[in-house]
Amino acid sequence: MKEVKVEVIGPEPPCMRCQAAKKAVEKAAEKLKQAGVVVNVEKANIMSKEIVQKYGVLVSPAIAINNAVKIIGRVPSPEEVEKLIIEAAK
Amino acid sequence: MEEKTKRAVRKAVLLAFFIIVIGLLIYSRVTARPTKETFKDKLSEFGLWESPLLYVAIPALYIADYFSHAWICLLFAFSVAGLIYEFVPKETITRYMGRGKAAGYGLALCMAPFLTVCSCTMVPLFGGILYAGAGVGPAITFLLMAPAANILTILMTGEMISWAVAGARIIASAAVAVIAGLIVSATPWGKAVEKEFQVADSAAGSSAKVEVVKPPLDERLWAALKFAGYLAKQILPFFIIGLIVVGYLSAFIPEEIVESYLTGPTGILIASVLGGPLYTPTLVEIALGQELWNKGMSKGALLSWLMGQPYDFANAMAVSRIAKWKVVATYFIVAWAGSVTFGFLYGMLSGSL
Repeated sequence: MKEVKVEVIGPEPPCMRCQAAKKAVEKAAEKLKQAGVVVNVEKANIMSKEIVQKYGVLVSPAIAINNAVKIIGRVPSPEEVEKLIIEAAK
Repeated sequence: MEEKTKRAVRKAVLLAFFIIVIGLLIYSRVTARPTKETFKDKLSEFGLWESPLLYVAIPALYIADYFSHAWICLLFAFSVAGLIYEFVPKETITRYMGRGKAAGYGLALCMAPFLTVCSCTMVPLFGGILYAGAGVGPAITFLLMAPAANILTILMTGEMISWAVAGARIIASAAVAVIAGLIVSATPWGKAVEKEFQVADSAAGSSAKVEVVKPPLDERLWAALKFAGYLAKQILPFFIIGLIVVGYLSAFIPEEIVESYLTGPTGILIASVLGGPLYTPTLVEIALGQELWNKGMSKGALLSWLMGQPYDFANAMAVSRIAKWKVVATYFIVAWAGSVTFGFLYGMLSGSL
Protein backbone atom coordinates (compact mmCIF):
# COMPACT_ATOMS: atom_id res chain seq x y z
CA MET A 1 0.00 0.00 0.00
CA LYS A 2 1.49 3.31 -1.09
CA GLU A 3 0.83 6.58 0.65
CA VAL A 4 1.02 9.95 -0.98
CA LYS A 5 0.61 13.33 0.69
CA VAL A 6 -1.05 16.03 -1.37
CA GLU A 7 -1.20 19.59 -0.08
CA VAL A 8 -3.62 22.03 -1.65
CA ILE A 9 -2.20 25.44 -0.84
CA GLY A 10 -4.46 28.47 -0.92
CA PRO A 11 -5.62 31.43 1.12
CA GLU A 12 -7.91 31.17 4.10
CA PRO A 13 -10.89 31.56 3.57
CA PRO A 14 -10.45 29.62 0.32
CA CYS A 15 -10.92 31.34 -3.02
CA MET A 16 -13.03 29.86 -5.79
CA ARG A 17 -10.13 28.59 -7.85
CA CYS A 18 -8.56 26.92 -4.82
CA GLN A 19 -11.79 25.09 -4.15
CA ALA A 20 -11.80 23.93 -7.75
CA ALA A 21 -8.23 22.70 -7.36
CA LYS A 22 -9.14 20.84 -4.20
CA LYS A 23 -12.08 19.20 -5.93
CA ALA A 24 -9.81 17.99 -8.73
CA VAL A 25 -7.41 16.50 -6.19
CA GLU A 26 -10.22 14.80 -4.30
CA LYS A 27 -11.60 13.32 -7.49
CA ALA A 28 -8.18 11.92 -8.36
CA ALA A 29 -7.77 10.56 -4.83
CA GLU A 30 -11.11 8.81 -4.98
CA LYS A 31 -10.14 7.10 -8.20
CA LEU A 32 -6.71 6.08 -6.95
CA LYS A 33 -8.15 4.57 -3.80
CA GLN A 34 -9.53 1.74 -5.91
CA ALA A 35 -6.08 1.23 -7.39
CA GLY A 36 -4.62 0.81 -3.94
CA VAL A 37 -2.96 4.17 -3.49
CA VAL A 38 -3.78 6.04 -0.29
CA VAL A 39 -3.89 9.76 -0.89
CA ASN A 40 -3.87 12.08 2.09
CA VAL A 41 -5.33 15.39 0.97
CA GLU A 42 -4.42 18.30 3.20
CA LYS A 43 -5.32 21.93 3.00
CA ALA A 44 -2.49 24.35 3.68
CA ASN A 45 -2.71 28.07 4.26
CA ILE A 46 -0.63 30.00 1.74
CA MET A 47 -0.14 32.80 4.23
CA SER A 48 1.19 30.76 7.12
CA LYS A 49 4.77 31.00 8.25
CA GLU A 50 5.32 27.28 7.84
CA ILE A 51 4.30 27.14 4.21
CA VAL A 52 6.28 30.19 3.13
CA GLN A 53 9.28 28.88 5.00
CA LYS A 54 8.92 25.53 3.31
CA TYR A 55 8.16 26.54 -0.25
CA GLY A 56 8.74 30.27 -0.58
CA VAL A 57 6.24 32.65 -2.13
CA LEU A 58 3.53 30.88 -4.09
CA VAL A 59 0.66 31.90 -6.30
CA SER A 60 -2.61 30.36 -5.26
CA PRO A 61 -3.86 27.74 -5.91
CA ALA A 62 -0.74 25.61 -5.56
CA ILE A 63 -0.49 21.86 -5.19
CA ALA A 64 2.39 20.03 -3.54
CA ILE A 65 2.80 16.27 -3.77
CA ASN A 66 5.05 14.58 -1.23
CA ASN A 67 6.57 17.93 -0.23
CA ALA A 68 7.30 19.08 -3.76
CA VAL A 69 5.29 21.86 -5.35
CA LYS A 70 4.06 20.66 -8.72
CA ILE A 71 1.47 23.22 -9.65
CA ILE A 72 1.43 26.97 -9.14
CA GLY A 73 -1.40 29.34 -9.88
CA ARG A 74 -3.66 27.15 -11.95
CA VAL A 75 -6.44 24.62 -11.62
CA PRO A 76 -5.38 21.21 -12.95
CA SER A 77 -7.70 18.54 -14.31
CA PRO A 78 -8.32 15.46 -12.13
CA GLU A 79 -6.52 13.34 -14.75
CA GLU A 80 -3.40 15.45 -14.49
CA VAL A 81 -3.37 15.23 -10.70
CA GLU A 82 -3.89 11.48 -10.97
CA LYS A 83 -0.84 11.16 -13.22
CA LEU A 84 1.27 13.22 -10.86
CA ILE A 85 0.23 11.18 -7.85
CA ILE A 86 0.95 7.89 -9.59
CA GLU A 87 4.38 9.21 -10.47
CA ALA A 88 5.01 10.18 -6.86
CA ALA A 89 3.80 6.81 -5.59
CA LYS A 90 6.35 4.91 -7.67
CA MET B 1 -1.73 7.99 -32.45
CA GLU B 2 -5.33 9.05 -32.09
CA GLU B 3 -4.50 10.90 -28.90
CA LYS B 4 -1.82 12.78 -30.79
CA THR B 5 -4.12 13.93 -33.59
CA LYS B 6 -6.71 15.00 -31.05
CA ARG B 7 -4.13 17.15 -29.31
CA ALA B 8 -2.96 18.65 -32.59
CA VAL B 9 -6.50 19.55 -33.58
CA ARG B 10 -7.22 21.09 -30.20
CA LYS B 11 -4.00 23.08 -30.37
CA ALA B 12 -4.85 24.36 -33.84
CA VAL B 13 -8.39 25.37 -32.87
CA LEU B 14 -7.28 27.18 -29.74
CA LEU B 15 -4.42 28.96 -31.48
CA ALA B 16 -6.82 29.98 -34.24
CA PHE B 17 -9.18 31.42 -31.63
CA PHE B 18 -6.51 33.59 -30.04
CA ILE B 19 -5.20 34.72 -33.42
CA ILE B 20 -8.72 35.65 -34.55
CA VAL B 21 -9.31 37.67 -31.37
CA ILE B 22 -6.07 39.59 -31.85
CA GLY B 23 -6.84 40.00 -35.54
CA LEU B 24 -10.31 41.35 -34.76
CA LEU B 25 -8.85 44.03 -32.54
CA ILE B 26 -6.35 45.10 -35.18
CA TYR B 27 -9.05 45.05 -37.84
CA SER B 28 -11.35 47.18 -35.71
CA ARG B 29 -8.49 49.64 -35.17
CA VAL B 30 -7.76 49.93 -38.87
CA THR B 31 -11.35 50.35 -39.98
CA ALA B 32 -12.57 52.36 -37.01
CA ARG B 33 -15.13 54.95 -37.98
CA PRO B 34 -15.82 57.10 -34.96
CA THR B 35 -19.54 57.75 -34.75
CA LYS B 36 -20.81 60.70 -32.85
CA GLU B 37 -24.17 59.08 -32.27
CA THR B 38 -24.60 58.03 -28.65
CA PHE B 39 -27.29 56.33 -26.67
CA LYS B 40 -28.73 59.75 -25.90
CA ASP B 41 -29.40 60.37 -29.57
CA LYS B 42 -31.26 57.10 -29.65
CA LEU B 43 -33.28 58.21 -26.63
CA SER B 44 -34.29 61.36 -28.51
CA GLU B 45 -34.90 59.46 -31.72
CA PHE B 46 -37.40 57.13 -30.09
CA GLY B 47 -38.89 60.01 -28.09
CA LEU B 48 -38.10 58.32 -24.82
CA TRP B 49 -37.10 61.38 -22.80
CA GLU B 50 -40.71 62.13 -21.92
CA SER B 51 -41.90 58.56 -21.72
CA PRO B 52 -42.28 56.63 -18.47
CA LEU B 53 -40.01 54.01 -19.97
CA LEU B 54 -37.06 56.39 -19.67
CA TYR B 55 -35.64 54.81 -16.55
CA VAL B 56 -35.56 51.39 -18.16
CA ALA B 57 -34.41 52.67 -21.51
CA ILE B 58 -31.38 54.53 -20.17
CA PRO B 59 -29.43 51.59 -18.78
CA ALA B 60 -30.59 49.25 -21.55
CA LEU B 61 -29.55 51.56 -24.36
CA TYR B 62 -26.38 52.64 -22.58
CA ILE B 63 -25.20 49.07 -22.08
CA ALA B 64 -26.12 48.09 -25.62
CA ASP B 65 -24.24 51.13 -26.89
CA TYR B 66 -21.22 50.43 -24.70
CA PHE B 67 -20.92 46.80 -25.68
CA SER B 68 -21.37 47.54 -29.36
CA HIS B 69 -18.22 49.67 -29.10
CA ALA B 70 -16.33 47.65 -26.54
CA TRP B 71 -17.03 43.98 -27.15
CA ILE B 72 -13.96 43.36 -29.29
CA CYS B 73 -11.83 45.19 -26.80
CA LEU B 74 -13.27 43.28 -23.84
CA LEU B 75 -12.86 39.96 -25.62
CA PHE B 76 -9.28 40.87 -26.45
CA ALA B 77 -8.45 42.10 -22.95
CA PHE B 78 -9.82 39.00 -21.24
CA SER B 79 -8.17 36.61 -23.73
CA VAL B 80 -4.79 38.30 -23.43
CA ALA B 81 -5.04 38.43 -19.65
CA GLY B 82 -5.74 34.69 -19.63
CA LEU B 83 -2.86 33.95 -21.99
CA ILE B 84 -0.36 36.03 -20.08
CA TYR B 85 -1.42 34.68 -16.74
CA GLU B 86 -0.99 31.13 -18.01
CA PHE B 87 2.32 31.63 -19.77
CA VAL B 88 4.15 34.00 -17.45
CA PRO B 89 6.75 31.90 -15.57
CA LYS B 90 5.23 32.27 -12.12
CA GLU B 91 7.68 29.99 -10.33
CA THR B 92 10.70 31.95 -11.58
CA ILE B 93 9.24 35.23 -10.41
CA THR B 94 8.23 33.97 -7.01
CA ARG B 95 11.58 32.27 -6.44
CA TYR B 96 13.46 35.55 -6.71
CA MET B 97 10.99 37.42 -4.57
CA GLY B 98 12.83 36.80 -1.34
CA ARG B 99 16.22 37.98 -2.56
CA GLY B 100 17.06 41.45 -1.32
CA LYS B 101 15.35 44.82 -1.43
CA ALA B 102 16.13 46.12 -4.90
CA ALA B 103 15.12 42.83 -6.52
CA GLY B 104 12.00 42.91 -4.36
CA TYR B 105 10.89 46.32 -5.62
CA GLY B 106 11.74 45.50 -9.21
CA LEU B 107 9.87 42.23 -9.16
CA ALA B 108 6.92 43.70 -7.34
CA LEU B 109 6.56 46.28 -10.11
CA CYS B 110 7.07 43.81 -12.93
CA MET B 111 4.97 40.98 -11.66
CA ALA B 112 2.01 42.90 -10.33
CA PRO B 113 0.60 43.64 -13.79
CA PHE B 114 0.79 40.01 -14.84
CA LEU B 115 -0.14 38.00 -11.81
CA THR B 116 -3.04 39.76 -10.29
CA VAL B 117 -5.95 40.21 -12.54
CA CYS B 118 -7.73 38.18 -9.90
CA SER B 119 -8.09 39.80 -6.52
CA CYS B 120 -8.02 36.49 -4.70
CA THR B 121 -4.34 36.06 -5.45
CA MET B 122 -3.41 39.55 -4.38
CA VAL B 123 -3.69 39.53 -0.61
CA PRO B 124 -2.08 36.05 -0.31
CA LEU B 125 0.84 37.25 -2.41
CA PHE B 126 1.13 40.32 -0.21
CA GLY B 127 1.44 38.05 2.82
CA GLY B 128 3.79 35.71 0.99
CA ILE B 129 6.14 38.54 0.05
CA LEU B 130 6.21 39.68 3.67
CA TYR B 131 7.00 36.21 4.98
CA ALA B 132 9.60 35.58 2.31
CA GLY B 133 11.69 38.32 3.83
CA ALA B 134 11.47 40.81 0.98
CA GLY B 135 10.22 43.32 3.51
CA VAL B 136 7.15 45.45 3.87
CA GLY B 137 8.25 47.93 1.16
CA PRO B 138 8.05 45.61 -1.85
CA ALA B 139 4.87 44.11 -0.42
CA ILE B 140 3.19 47.53 -0.39
CA THR B 141 4.57 48.32 -3.85
CA PHE B 142 3.06 45.13 -5.15
CA LEU B 143 -0.25 45.80 -3.45
CA LEU B 144 -0.61 49.27 -4.95
CA MET B 145 0.66 48.38 -8.39
CA ALA B 146 -1.57 45.36 -8.87
CA PRO B 147 -5.01 46.93 -9.18
CA ALA B 148 -3.67 50.11 -10.77
CA ALA B 149 -1.84 48.58 -13.67
CA ASN B 150 -2.85 45.04 -14.45
CA ILE B 151 -3.17 43.82 -18.01
CA LEU B 152 -6.92 44.15 -18.05
CA THR B 153 -7.15 47.74 -16.84
CA ILE B 154 -4.27 48.92 -19.00
CA LEU B 155 -5.70 47.39 -22.16
CA MET B 156 -9.14 48.81 -21.43
CA THR B 157 -7.81 52.27 -20.53
CA GLY B 158 -5.71 52.32 -23.68
CA GLU B 159 -8.43 51.14 -26.02
CA MET B 160 -11.42 52.94 -24.55
CA ILE B 161 -9.86 56.23 -23.41
CA SER B 162 -6.42 56.75 -24.92
CA TRP B 163 -3.01 55.15 -24.92
CA ALA B 164 -1.42 58.37 -23.68
CA VAL B 165 -3.59 58.22 -20.57
CA ALA B 166 -2.86 54.49 -20.17
CA GLY B 167 0.88 55.17 -20.36
CA ALA B 168 0.61 57.97 -17.83
CA ARG B 169 -1.37 55.65 -15.61
CA ILE B 170 1.35 52.98 -15.66
CA ILE B 171 4.21 55.40 -15.00
CA ALA B 172 2.40 57.33 -12.28
CA SER B 173 1.16 54.16 -10.56
CA ALA B 174 4.64 52.63 -10.59
CA ALA B 175 6.19 55.77 -9.14
CA VAL B 176 3.58 56.10 -6.42
CA ALA B 177 3.79 52.38 -5.58
CA VAL B 178 7.56 52.52 -5.08
CA ILE B 179 7.42 55.76 -3.09
CA ALA B 180 4.69 54.36 -0.85
CA GLY B 181 6.72 51.21 -0.32
CA LEU B 182 9.84 53.16 0.59
CA ILE B 183 7.95 55.45 2.96
CA VAL B 184 6.09 52.66 4.74
CA SER B 185 9.27 50.62 5.20
CA ALA B 186 10.91 53.64 6.85
CA THR B 187 8.18 54.17 9.45
CA PRO B 188 8.42 52.53 12.88
CA TRP B 189 5.10 50.72 12.39
CA GLY B 190 6.23 49.44 9.01
CA LYS B 191 9.38 48.07 10.58
CA ALA B 192 7.32 46.45 13.34
CA VAL B 193 5.28 44.54 10.76
CA GLU B 194 8.46 43.48 9.02
CA LYS B 195 9.87 42.11 12.25
CA GLU B 196 6.68 40.28 13.09
CA PHE B 197 6.77 38.47 9.78
CA GLN B 198 10.43 37.63 9.82
CA VAL B 199 11.10 33.93 9.34
CA ALA B 200 14.31 32.16 10.13
CA ASP B 201 16.18 31.57 6.91
CA SER B 202 16.09 27.82 6.85
CA ALA B 203 14.23 27.10 3.66
CA ALA B 204 17.43 25.89 2.02
CA GLY B 205 17.84 23.08 4.49
CA SER B 206 14.33 21.70 4.36
CA SER B 207 13.33 18.74 2.26
CA ALA B 208 10.72 20.69 0.37
CA LYS B 209 11.27 21.72 -3.19
CA VAL B 210 9.52 23.32 -6.08
CA GLU B 211 9.50 21.38 -9.31
CA VAL B 212 6.64 22.68 -11.33
CA VAL B 213 5.36 20.49 -14.12
CA LYS B 214 4.40 21.93 -17.49
CA PRO B 215 1.48 20.39 -19.31
CA PRO B 216 1.47 20.24 -23.14
CA LEU B 217 0.72 23.36 -25.16
CA ASP B 218 -2.86 22.48 -26.03
CA GLU B 219 -3.72 22.04 -22.36
CA ARG B 220 -2.07 25.33 -21.48
CA LEU B 221 -3.99 27.16 -24.19
CA TRP B 222 -7.19 25.61 -22.95
CA ALA B 223 -6.30 26.63 -19.39
CA ALA B 224 -5.65 30.18 -20.60
CA LEU B 225 -9.07 30.30 -22.21
CA LYS B 226 -10.69 28.85 -19.12
CA PHE B 227 -8.99 31.43 -16.96
CA ALA B 228 -10.17 34.19 -19.29
CA GLY B 229 -13.69 32.85 -18.88
CA TYR B 230 -13.30 32.71 -15.13
CA LEU B 231 -12.15 36.32 -15.06
CA ALA B 232 -15.06 37.40 -17.20
CA LYS B 233 -17.47 35.59 -14.91
CA GLN B 234 -15.95 37.30 -11.88
CA ILE B 235 -15.74 40.80 -13.30
CA LEU B 236 -18.53 41.25 -15.84
CA PRO B 237 -21.55 41.03 -13.49
CA PHE B 238 -20.19 43.89 -11.37
CA PHE B 239 -19.11 45.69 -14.50
CA ILE B 240 -22.63 45.59 -15.91
CA ILE B 241 -24.14 46.82 -12.65
CA GLY B 242 -21.57 49.60 -12.75
CA LEU B 243 -22.54 50.44 -16.31
CA ILE B 244 -26.19 50.84 -15.27
CA VAL B 245 -25.14 53.51 -12.79
CA VAL B 246 -22.81 55.11 -15.32
CA GLY B 247 -25.69 55.20 -17.79
CA TYR B 248 -27.90 57.20 -15.40
CA LEU B 249 -25.03 59.52 -14.48
CA SER B 250 -24.26 60.07 -18.13
CA ALA B 251 -27.86 60.91 -18.92
CA PHE B 252 -28.51 63.24 -16.02
CA ILE B 253 -25.27 65.00 -15.08
CA PRO B 254 -25.15 68.25 -17.04
CA GLU B 255 -21.90 69.11 -18.76
CA GLU B 256 -21.71 72.45 -16.99
CA ILE B 257 -21.32 70.74 -13.64
CA VAL B 258 -18.54 68.48 -14.89
CA GLU B 259 -16.81 71.38 -16.57
CA SER B 260 -16.95 73.60 -13.51
CA TYR B 261 -16.13 71.00 -10.85
CA LEU B 262 -13.85 68.51 -12.55
CA THR B 263 -11.36 70.84 -14.15
CA GLY B 264 -8.45 72.81 -12.73
CA PRO B 265 -6.82 72.21 -9.34
CA THR B 266 -10.14 71.68 -7.54
CA GLY B 267 -11.12 69.20 -10.22
CA ILE B 268 -8.07 67.10 -9.47
CA LEU B 269 -8.74 67.21 -5.74
CA ILE B 270 -12.37 66.24 -6.19
CA ALA B 271 -11.53 63.48 -8.67
CA SER B 272 -8.89 61.99 -6.40
CA VAL B 273 -11.20 61.99 -3.40
CA LEU B 274 -14.08 60.47 -5.38
CA GLY B 275 -11.90 57.96 -7.20
CA GLY B 276 -10.30 56.50 -4.14
CA PRO B 277 -12.45 55.58 -1.20
CA LEU B 278 -15.52 55.27 -3.38
CA TYR B 279 -15.37 51.64 -4.34
CA THR B 280 -15.76 51.10 -8.04
CA PRO B 281 -15.55 47.53 -9.33
CA THR B 282 -12.68 46.89 -11.76
CA LEU B 283 -13.17 48.41 -15.20
CA VAL B 284 -16.14 50.54 -14.09
CA GLU B 285 -13.74 53.34 -13.21
CA ILE B 286 -12.67 53.32 -16.85
CA ALA B 287 -16.23 53.55 -18.19
CA LEU B 288 -17.16 56.32 -15.77
CA GLY B 289 -13.89 58.15 -16.38
CA GLN B 290 -14.50 57.98 -20.12
CA GLU B 291 -18.00 59.38 -19.68
CA LEU B 292 -16.86 62.23 -17.43
CA TRP B 293 -14.01 63.00 -19.78
CA ASN B 294 -16.45 63.26 -22.71
CA LYS B 295 -18.42 65.71 -20.62
CA GLY B 296 -15.41 67.94 -20.12
CA MET B 297 -13.33 66.61 -17.23
CA SER B 298 -9.68 67.61 -17.61
CA LYS B 299 -7.01 65.03 -18.40
CA GLY B 300 -5.27 65.76 -15.12
CA ALA B 301 -8.44 65.05 -13.17
CA LEU B 302 -9.01 61.94 -15.28
CA LEU B 303 -5.63 60.53 -14.29
CA SER B 304 -6.24 61.30 -10.61
CA TRP B 305 -9.59 59.60 -10.88
CA LEU B 306 -8.12 56.47 -12.48
CA MET B 307 -5.31 56.33 -9.95
CA GLY B 308 -7.78 56.18 -7.10
CA GLN B 309 -8.41 52.48 -7.68
CA PRO B 310 -5.69 50.98 -5.43
CA TYR B 311 -6.65 52.79 -2.29
CA ASP B 312 -10.30 51.96 -2.04
CA PHE B 313 -11.88 50.62 1.10
CA ALA B 314 -12.33 46.99 0.10
CA ASN B 315 -8.62 46.69 -0.51
CA ALA B 316 -7.69 48.48 2.69
CA MET B 317 -9.93 46.21 4.75
CA ALA B 318 -8.29 43.07 3.38
CA VAL B 319 -4.82 44.39 4.04
CA SER B 320 -5.52 45.63 7.53
CA ARG B 321 -6.12 42.02 8.51
CA ILE B 322 -2.42 41.31 7.90
CA ALA B 323 -0.71 44.62 8.50
CA LYS B 324 -1.41 47.23 11.16
CA TRP B 325 -3.94 49.95 10.40
CA LYS B 326 -1.14 52.49 10.64
CA VAL B 327 0.53 50.85 7.66
CA VAL B 328 -2.75 51.02 5.77
CA ALA B 329 -3.24 54.68 6.72
CA THR B 330 0.29 55.54 5.59
CA TYR B 331 0.00 54.03 2.16
CA PHE B 332 -3.50 55.43 1.82
CA ILE B 333 -2.19 58.95 2.34
CA VAL B 334 0.83 58.47 0.09
CA ALA B 335 -1.31 56.98 -2.68
CA TRP B 336 -3.76 59.85 -2.42
CA ALA B 337 -1.04 62.49 -2.44
CA GLY B 338 0.52 60.70 -5.39
CA SER B 339 -2.68 60.71 -7.39
CA VAL B 340 -3.09 64.46 -6.80
CA THR B 341 0.55 65.21 -7.67
CA PHE B 342 0.55 63.16 -10.84
CA GLY B 343 -2.84 64.54 -11.79
CA PHE B 344 -1.35 68.03 -11.67
CA LEU B 345 1.80 67.01 -13.51
CA TYR B 346 -0.08 65.23 -16.25
CA GLY B 347 -2.62 68.03 -16.50
CA MET B 348 0.14 70.59 -17.00
CA LEU B 349 2.17 68.44 -19.39
CA SER B 350 -0.81 67.56 -21.55
CA GLY B 351 -2.16 71.10 -21.39
CA SER B 352 -5.46 69.96 -19.96
CA LEU B 353 -5.68 70.98 -16.34
